[in-house]
Amino acid sequence: MTQKGKTIQLIKDILRHVVIVLMVSVWLIPIIWLIATSFSAYPGRNTSNFFPEQWSLQNYINILNPTSHTVNFPIWMWNTFKIAMAVCIVCTLFAVMVAYATSFFRFKTRKPLMNVAVILNLFPGVLSMISVYFLLKAMNLTNTHIGLTLVYCASSGLGYLIAKGYFDTVPRALVEAAKLDGASQARTFFSIILPISKPIIVYTVISSFLTPWTDFVFSKMILNSGIADMWTVSIGLYNMLDRSLINTYFSQFCAGGVIVSIPISVLFVIMQKFYVEGITGGAVKG
Amino acid sequence: MAKAKKINKVSDFFKSIGGFFKSFAEAVAKGDIFVKLSLIWVGAGYAGRKQFIRSLLVTILQAAVIVYSVLVAPQYISKFHNLGEVQMEMVFDINTMKNVPNDYDDSFQILLFSVVSIIIWIVFFFFWIKNVISAYKLQKKAEKGEHINNFKEDVTSYLNEKFHITLLSVPVLGIVLFSIVPIFILILVAFTNYDQEHMAPTALFTWTGLTNFINLFGGGGMTVTFGYSFVRVLGWTLVWAFFATFTTYFGGILLALFLNNKRTKLAKLWRALFVVTIAVPQFVSLLLVRNFFANNGIANTMLSNMGVTDFLQNIGLLSYDYIPFLSAPGWAHVTIIMVNIWIGIPYQMLIATGVLSNLPVDQIESARIDGANTGQIFRHITMPYVLFVTGPALVTDFVKNINNFNVIYLLTQDVFTTTDQYLANSQAKEVDLLVTWLFRLTQEYYNYKMASVIGICVFVICAVFTLVAFNLMTGKDKEEVYN
Repeated sequence: MTQKGKTIQLIKDILRHVVIVLMVSVWLIPIIWLIATSFSAYPGRNTSNFFPEQWSLQNYINILNPTSHTVNFPIWMWNTFKIAMAVCIVCTLFAVMVAYATSFFRFKTRKPLMNVAVILNLFPGVLSMISVYFLLKAMNLTNTHIGLTLVYCASSGLGYLIAKGYFDTVPRALVEAAKLDGASQARTFFSIILPISKPIIVYTVISSFLTPWTDFVFSKMILNSGIADMWTVSIGLYNMLDRSLINTYFSQFCAGGVIVSIPISVLFVIMQKFYVEGITGGAVKG
Repeated sequence: MAKAKKINKVSDFFKSIGGFFKSFAEAVAKGDIFVKLSLIWVGAGYAGRKQFIRSLLVTILQAAVIVYSVLVAPQYISKFHNLGEVQMEMVFDINTMKNVPNDYDDSFQILLFSVVSIIIWIVFFFFWIKNVISAYKLQKKAEKGEHINNFKEDVTSYLNEKFHITLLSVPVLGIVLFSIVPIFILILVAFTNYDQEHMAPTALFTWTGLTNFINLFGGGGMTVTFGYSFVRVLGWTLVWAFFATFTTYFGGILLALFLNNKRTKLAKLWRALFVVTIAVPQFVSLLLVRNFFANNGIANTMLSNMGVTDFLQNIGLLSYDYIPFLSAPGWAHVTIIMVNIWIGIPYQMLIATGVLSNLPVDQIESARIDGANTGQIFRHITMPYVLFVTGPALVTDFVKNINNFNVIYLLTQDVFTTTDQYLANSQAKEVDLLVTWLFRLTQEYYNYKMASVIGICVFVICAVFTLVAFNLMTGKDKEEVYN
């Protein structure tokens, strides 16, 4: 390459990285603002400066040691955690069960069942929520954590497709061999298929565990009584920005946001890794 | 070709149903006394072949259904035609000296239990037919002198060749209870006057036929505003879904290509920094952004310090002394789409990166040898390939955006107030999607009847769009090209 060509290439490379850095900084502005404000000594919204004038850890101390009943962050975290644990166990079980049945068995109602699942998936979750709300109301389960858990879990059988895609790559010879050795289908499922399905199970576990943490609509709809001790993190934080509270709690909201985001981000990154592994890796290459 | 396939599928479906009833007829005609008896007593067929426990279990099931049908169902089904007549009233009870409610009708309970009863009966009907068929199968087995399972063997078969039934039963039950029953109820409520003035259980509601649909589609009367609002909200919903889908989709692909380029240093670091924005939950990031762009928020302060606000005022684009990012129509629409780009591109970038890592490398190499330049390769190989792989996702993304509750609600609730009288009358706003409107109607105004009608509309729109789009895509039959 000539000297001139090299210079042009260098300028191009510099430009490329300048564009990237510019874009990244635009994308990170709100995140930086979130973190900066969470360390602000001023409790309300700072409308004159991007960075706080005085720094302090007080917001973190305050939000972890609640004094009022309207803002009780630790309880919200605990509520969400309880719900998330239940949801994650039930959802994973359901999804894996349905995926195994539809992937390894050929029965008459298999195709029709899968078609019904496709149609039901078309019916968006936000829409079915008002009808589910009717149902929970009739069963007296609105404003209970059980009701909310049921909502998250109920249709989880429909989320089987990713796990099924993974099971489809498991060599059938493996199952045949187990059968010849006299293992029942149930045994094959528990002691052969489940252990080699680690990536996809981890993915399902994390994604269902994250549902209650990231969901806003369902919790807002089901837990609408206004009793702060019942809330999950999302409605709790939402409520902290209520017009009457925002000037006392905005910085604490940011602190709370940072606290919630850290575990979620970590899980999210792990989940992405397992997702890729599950989709591309396959199980045991036959 | 695709059409012929589809017709085949449909006819197969009817054939299998036909086959089901045919084997039922055969069982009834050729069955012996036990099979015929099992038409009345479901356990008869099994008892006749000495499968007593199985017989007992199905008998208990039958008894339960009969008890339910006689004792529970009639009190609801009998009122289904008008959803009850007795209004709730407080009556003075002489015995306890207290006011107690009378024996009132709860319209919603009537609706719910009627639906549940009908589903139970349909399921039992199929169970009953299936039962006769299997009784006949047992008879044939007995005639041939084959082995008939005892109860223990039956149970183990559910862990073995019938394991799928064990696996599917509970999840399917959950889906029926929490997806199918609610959908039926939603559809039925659309034909009633269930709203704030007719709140069960304190007041009755009843069937009103197509009134709600007529109101929504601009039929006259007091609620003429609903027709107007529906058109406005639907229009914005579609515009939003279009922009939200395509900006993030192409933005994501371009960003992924840009970062994937060999000359980009530290690609992993940049990717991770973009992903940070989506790893923060939306209720945190969106609520934060909403305060960032508030009328007296930090963005406005900075822009006015820079003189942008004055400049816009001077050229006549702005009539306020702040920029109403999220509080005036037009401005809010643009801001919402911008914020969605911010939140959506990293996500699409992740997906596109995954797709790009499986690019057909040989094709690109040979194209390069044949003298194609980067632009040509992008247009003729990369883009068609990415479109082929992610095409279906594009359709589902569009549907998801039609129902993108979070972005709209978290950004505009409590911030945006409409000045349009017609919209305000029907509790809608310029920035509402159909789903956020529906949410507000149910949560704040208890207008279930209109919410249900809107819900049905959204479903129809999404379903029609999905079917048409998938048909267009699969119609071209591109599959072989890449396989």
